[in-house]
Amino acid sequence: MKSWKLKEVVLMSSLGVVFAFVYLAFFLFGQGLRNLLLPIGLAPFAYEIIFGIWFIVSIIAAYIIRRPGAAFFSELIAGIVQVLVGSPAGPMLILTAAIQGLGAEAVFAAFRWRVYTLPVLMAAGAGAAVVSYAYHLFASGYIALGPGLIISMFIVRVLSGILLAGLLGKWLSDRLEATGVLRGYAIHHARTQRSSRHAS
Amino acid sequence: MLQQLNPSVKAGAVLVPSILLSFSYDVFTPLVFLFLLLVFTWTWSGMPKKKWLMLFSPFFIGAAGFAWMTMLYAGDGYQSGEVLFSVWHFEVTEGGMEAGISLGLRSLCFIALSLLFVLTTDVTQMMHSFMQQLKLPPKLVYGIMAGFRFLPLFRHEYTVIRQAHRVRGVEAERTVSGRLRHFRRFAVPMLAGAVRRAERTALAMTAKGFTGDKNRTWYKRERVEAKDWVFAASLNGALLLVLAASWYFGYLSIFHWDAGRSQ
Repeated sequence: MKSWKLKEVVLMSSLGVVFAFVYLAFFLFGQGLRNLLLPIGLAPFAYEIIFGIWFIVSIIAAYIIRRPGAAFFSELIAGIVQVLVGSPAGPMLILTAAIQGLGAEAVFAAFRWRVYTLPVLMAAGAGAAVVSYAYHLFASGYIALGPGLIISMFIVRVLSGILLAGLLGKWLSDRLEATGVLRGYAIHHARTQRSSRHAS
Repeated sequence: MLQQLNPSVKAGAVLVPSILLSFSYDVFTPLVFLFLLLVFTWTWSGMPKKKWLMLFSPFFIGAAGFAWMTMLYAGDGYQSGEVLFSVWHFEVTEGGMEAGISLGLRSLCFIALSLLFVLTTDVTQMMHSFMQQLKLPPKLVYGIMAGFRFLPLFRHEYTVIRQAHRVRGVEAERTVSGRLRHFRRFAVPMLAGAVRRAERTALAMTAKGFTGDKNRTWYKRERVEAKDWVFAASLNGALLLVLAASWYFGYLSIFHWDAGRSQ
């Protein structure tokens, strides 16, 4: 965190705050879905479908700031802020957020924090999904379920991570970049370098 | 009173039982622990019972959802005993029922534990403690606190964007694709606003001499005192006692392995 510019830290924190709210909104949305699926005994499945949204800030922050730790810390902040605004999930949420952040960070680390193409972002979404699923297997007791359901929930969560975090995260960041507000950040430098190389 | 405890120790004290509890799949352990948590909450937190119940009761649906799913779809390892009843082509066995109820109760324990923390902790105190006890970098903590103060501004910004849309004749959307377009029209300007504000705040912080250096003074000292450890020890001691009792009476099961003393 020493080499970070202050504005990068504050940007990451602001993203964490904004998405903490998005996360809480999706939590409520998930509750609605869950009540629909409750009678057939698949209530927690509702959350699996939209689970990817809870990884999105990792993808966006890492894609914009492009520094080691951006994926992890942004998710951690979103977790802390949800506790600050009084999410009933409490300190457990900070732990879950840290675990999800680590999952995404691991993928960026595997590419030495240098590659931020769409496949890598999608892989980071999938990475967060895999690690968080391993955690929920124990914490939420999914391990007590039949293998068919365990596997199908896993697949749905990974797909959700790829699409709702990876794809949607990149799309949102690119739209944001197009407005010009990210001129002072790595995402913009990377794009301008590429286009100047094309020109020469 | 829980309000005066150190937030870092309190968070840890609440987190450890949540993790320990994740290994038990019997009904006895979470049920007794939940009961003890209620006693803790009502004697120590100083919170009105009615308010607490209002916050806690909605989670019964979630707990029921967990329990019901586990009952219907329990894995082979957790199926045991007689078939109690069947729904469509699902057969609910005693073992599946036990695992289901256990998971439902466990999720209620999680909620009770975190309410114990969330409802008794001051935001600023928590961030200061995270910085002083958990050694989170000041850059990060002050960044979060600054971002957190933006919340009312975000709400204001949302209203402004909505009004701007309305003035230009943008109708409320009802279809799914319309909702998606609606989402984009709000998400991008709001994020752009957040980025701009973050940049301005960072500049202001630097201008006022904030370097993010760890050797700094604190306007508020957070300390860890004996009472913090008393709280942590009694909460975790309570769980250990419950686990021991559960083992002694032969109820305890860790995953689907019956760890309880055989009768």
